[in-house]
Amino acid sequence: MITSTAPLLDVRDLTVTINREGGLVTALDKVSFFINPSEVLGIVGESGAGKSITGAAIIDLLVPPLKRTGGTITLAGERLDQLSPKAMRSVRGGRIGFVFQDPMTSLNPVITIGQQLCDTIQAHLKLSGSQAKKKALDWLDRVGLPNPDVQFKRYPHQLSGGMRQRVVIALALCADPMLVIADEPTTALDVSVQAHILELLRDLHRESNVSMMLITHDLGVIAKMADRVAVLYAGRVAEISPVGELFNAPKHPYTRGLIRATPMPSATGEMRLDQIPGAMPGLGAVPPGCAFNPRCFKAQSDCRATIPPLYHAESSAFSCFHPLERVTA
Amino acid sequence: MLNYAASRIVQTLIVLLVISFIAFLLVANIGDPLAALLSADATVNERLELIAKLGLDQPLWTRFLHFIGNMLQGDFGFSYRTQDPVANLIAERLPATVELAFVSLLITIAVGVPAGIYCGVHPNSLFGRFIMLISTAGITLPNFVVGILLIAVFSVQLGLLPSFGRGTVVDLGFWKTGLLSVSGWRAILLPAATLSTFQVAFIIRMLRTQLMEVGQSEHIRFARARGLSEARIWYVYAIKNTLLPVITMLGLQLGNIIAFSVVTENVFAWPGLGSLFLQSIQGADIPVIAIYLIFVGLVFMVINLVVELLYPLIDARVLRRQS
Repeated sequence: MITSTAPLLDVRDLTVTINREGGLVTALDKVSFFINPSEVLGIVGESGAGKSITGAAIIDLLVPPLKRTGGTITLAGERLDQLSPKAMRSVRGGRIGFVFQDPMTSLNPVITIGQQLCDTIQAHLKLSGSQAKKKALDWLDRVGLPNPDVQFKRYPHQLSGGMRQRVVIALALCADPMLVIADEPTTALDVSVQAHILELLRDLHRESNVSMMLITHDLGVIAKMADRVAVLYAGRVAEISPVGELFNAPKHPYTRGLIRATPMPSATGEMRLDQIPGAMPGLGAVPPGCAFNPRCFKAQSDCRATIPPLYHAESSAFSCFHPLERVTA
Repeated sequence: MLNYAASRIVQTLIVLLVISFIAFLLVANIGDPLAALLSADATVNERLELIAKLGLDQPLWTRFLHFIGNMLQGDFGFSYRTQDPVANLIAERLPATVELAFVSLLITIAVGVPAGIYCGVHPNSLFGRFIMLISTAGITLPNFVVGILLIAVFSVQLGLLPSFGRGTVVDLGFWKTGLLSVSGWRAILLPAATLSTFQVAFIIRMLRTQLMEVGQSEHIRFARARGLSEARIWYVYAIKNTLLPVITMLGLQLGNIIAFSVVTENVFAWPGLGSLFLQSIQGADIPVIAIYLIFVGLVFMVINLVVELLYPLIDARVLRRQS
């Protein structure tokens, strides 16, 4: 799905540090990727790999002591990292919608759903109260809530988890953004509800052609939704590939490890499950060289000495001195 | 909502009944009404007559029902000390105390709420820290010290405000108010300010803590991620989440001021319920103390009831917890 047009979002060398007891610890180390118009980029990795930090850093919503300390973020030709806080506010919700993870905590409990929607719409679009209400009702309908008139007046606690997540999605999309960042949009939901929400996201994506950055730890979600995938490990990009290539011919040993660690029935019907030995290093404990080298079966002395740069192949990129050959996948 | 209101009202009535019973036991068991009401040279017949008249020969339950029945008819018994009906004693003192409590609540809301919001929104600002420093003084200084300090500055040194009394009182027939005259307002300022010192400091600290906590919550972060203005986020989205504990505390504090402003009323020679209560304790005037106890219970229960009936208007979730 690589198109020749300029990317909608271009992130280069994004660096986020955390100020901890005097020392600076790197949480996100020169992360670079881009998202094309109407493309879905999946971001995968284990917990603590920096997925959510990446999403929050793009819209300048990092929680202190996390702080963006380097890199550029360009959205449709505009440098977001140089915007004033006021201009950034119109980007948040206006040009970039953000779907939060847990619908139980991300909706204001004492304000009606309709009010939350109308406030968001009117923060970005010049609409009268009744026009905003009409748009809000329209969005409640589009995200598949029955009786929008009734839901409009309800409080979050009167809805189920799945319905609330639909509201969260409506809130993220209601001001017609060009990019949606969805941070683990299905993780907090029941499995049956997860499928509905994913389907909704895919339908909305097809209808509106909005670009999407889908943050998840679930490769199943990636396989269903994403055009391209960026794999993060310990705050660095391990590999970025089109989704088919990622699953069939991963370049980075970590990517293959991640795929094999996901339960999937083989051709004979057996469940194969291989775990990667060891655990991802925590913040500030990243080993020298490639962050993955202590767990990597292909690690050699150069892996332990220097950080591998991001090598660009035709459709993919990977940071590994000894990438996997196609046949070994 | 109707269920909620009904259950709250029934609870209130039950608690009031229990308080009445405790107050009744006080009257029935402490002190000797015969010694207080009979002259020293009363005959045995006079004595028996009074016992029958007061119903002291009846069983406890009958007397309690009688006590309740009298109260419902507005008969609260007689003071041992002055022989006046207790109802008159309280009615005479009530307006002064209620007006004092009302003005001090106004000061609390007008000063405490904006300052608390400021400190919660800007916890690290210089001015916010300054307010917190001052509020520590408000929490720790006892009322009588604040009162004496205010008198020393505004009455003695500057001579701006009177140090005692209610000023000119206007009689409305059912209510003697000091709030219709300039001298009445001048007189109420110092005691009301004294009473509100603690409340203001308390509300500031509570609002600040609440707001800082709500400010960290995920829904406020999501509101920010949707580009809502900071003003809307703080003054609508965050504040609404802090209102429940704040009005609960304001209600309890109002009850506290009405019932227990004894010290402040004494410092300012304020002719309110507090000084009546103090005199009754000193004179072991059990009927007045008992009725006062019931009255205090009533005040707290009614304020609490009003506050609880306000809850669903602020946060509809309280109705769900009911069912």
